[in-house]
Amino acid sequence: MILDIDERDGWVVVATRGEVDLQHAPRLRKALTDSLLGGRGVIVDLSPVTFIDSSGIAALIEAYQMARTGGNAFILAAPSAPARRVLKLARLDTVFAIADSVTAATEGP
Amino acid sequence: MAIAPLSSPSPDLSRELDLVAEMTADFAQSQDVEDVLHRGLERIADVLGAEAASLFVIDSGGDLVCRACCGPVDVAGLRLAPGDGIVWRTVRENAPQTVTDVRRDPDFSDRVDRETGFVTRGVLCVPMTVRGERLGAIEIFNKMGGDTFSADESRLLQTLATSAGLALINARMAQAMAEQQALRRELALAADIQRAMLPSARSESFPIHGINLPARGVSGDFYDIVPLDDGRIAFAIGDVAGKGINAALLMARTSSLFRCLARRIEGPGAVLAAIDAELEGAVTGGTFVTMLAGLFDPASGKAVLASAGHEAPLLMKKTGSVSIDLDGLPPLGIVPERFAKGCPERSIDLEGGALYLFTDGLTEARAANGAMLEATGIEALLRRLTALPAPARLEAAMAELREDSAVLGDDATLMVIEAGR
Repeated sequence: MILDIDERDGWVVVATRGEVDLQHAPRLRKALTDSLLGGRGVIVDLSPVTFIDSSGIAALIEAYQMARTGGNAFILAAPSAPARRVLKLARLDTVFAIADSVTAATEGP
Repeated sequence: MAIAPLSSPSPDLSRELDLVAEMTADFAQSQDVEDVLHRGLERIADVLGAEAASLFVIDSGGDLVCRACCGPVDVAGLRLAPGDGIVWRTVRENAPQTVTDVRRDPDFSDRVDRETGFVTRGVLCVPMTVRGERLGAIEIFNKMGGDTFSADESRLLQTLATSAGLALINARMAQAMAEQQALRRELALAADIQRAMLPSARSESFPIHGINLPARGVSGDFYDIVPLDDGRIAFAIGDVAGKGINAALLMARTSSLFRCLARRIEGPGAVLAAIDAELEGAVTGGTFVTMLAGLFDPASGKAVLASAGHEAPLLMKKTGSVSIDLDGLPPLGIVPERFAKGCPERSIDLEGGALYLFTDGLTEARAANGAMLEATGIEALLRRLTALPAPARLEAAMAELREDSAVLGDDATLMVIEAGR
């Protein structure tokens, strides 16, 4: 997994490339929680994800819960087919805010 | 190596050698490192004729913290953020600093003197370094009856600082080992609890069976089978995200809630909603539980199912297989408000087939070529084994997953519900 962290229009955009599994999820978790602790909205670009398992999902859920408590925005953008499949399977597509693209996410709900 | 002159060592030297031998032994055996460092500093101050002494250690946050001290004022716990003071200069240059008159040293800060009333005249500060690792420094203050600390005294203090550093490293290693042992004990205990919580094996004629294979001793998976008084059978399979002791304890809590609530609450949707309400606040740090609960009526051959984010079950009949899509809710422990009105249920007729439930450890098990097994791979595997009675079939399926083609990256659990074989 490669993490690209960028800033865009006041948002932190975290792009996750490749496989988000047990080995890599802790890095994603740290990137997301660190960004949220900074008090800004976070967009996770899931378009380059080739595989995500329950530990990757757990990192997203922890960030979601943290954002909800802290009143920050937390948006998943453009999930790839494998990511969308897992989100749908676990009915999490009804929990997360999901945008079609990073640009759409920055424009807000 | 220089050959020492054949005269007896001076009284000073022999006293210092005694000190080194004594303190090195003391440091090496230290059980309570704070206590031994404190006593060591008192001896150092005494032998080197210093008014006061402090030992600073670099903590995990990168500050120098006073872990032991002796003298007229107590500065234990004093924290020095990275900066220009004499102690930091010693650590940075990794070399002893002898300062005869601190007022002429630009790095001297009189903050502590102002706060404590102590008057610093001169100091000797030596680095505490072991095998290249910078651990901190020892600083001694105000040579009694003299101007400054000598080069010999500086060398002696460096030797003692190295012994003190070894004592610190020993203490850290001992603590890490104790923590590891405690963790191993906890994990062994959790594994015992889990084994005790899984239902015991039943005869082949019983309609529901399950098998669990932990990936690393402790599993985040569970399944349960609870026969009710009216002949129906409640069952559930679940997967706790996360590893180790927290996942194991959450698994134990969720499965005991199911065992208790399945007898008291009618219908798997209401049972899931009640478990979600009970877990509120207990699930933190991104942990969550996917769970599928059901109620099977052997008399009618029908099952009622409800899902909280769990993988779709597979209904396998002679004529073909179908994945049962349950319009369920997200996993337990994330969005309590969604469960407040209960969880939707779906009733299905097994029509003489077998209903398989599994956790994602199974569908994500990797075949030798690296591809995921996915639900279709499981189906092919089970179809090959279909002639076997249920308990043997589940055993054989797990054995194949483990040994032949696949590597289990996660815990794996498989359940089957069937009637009328």
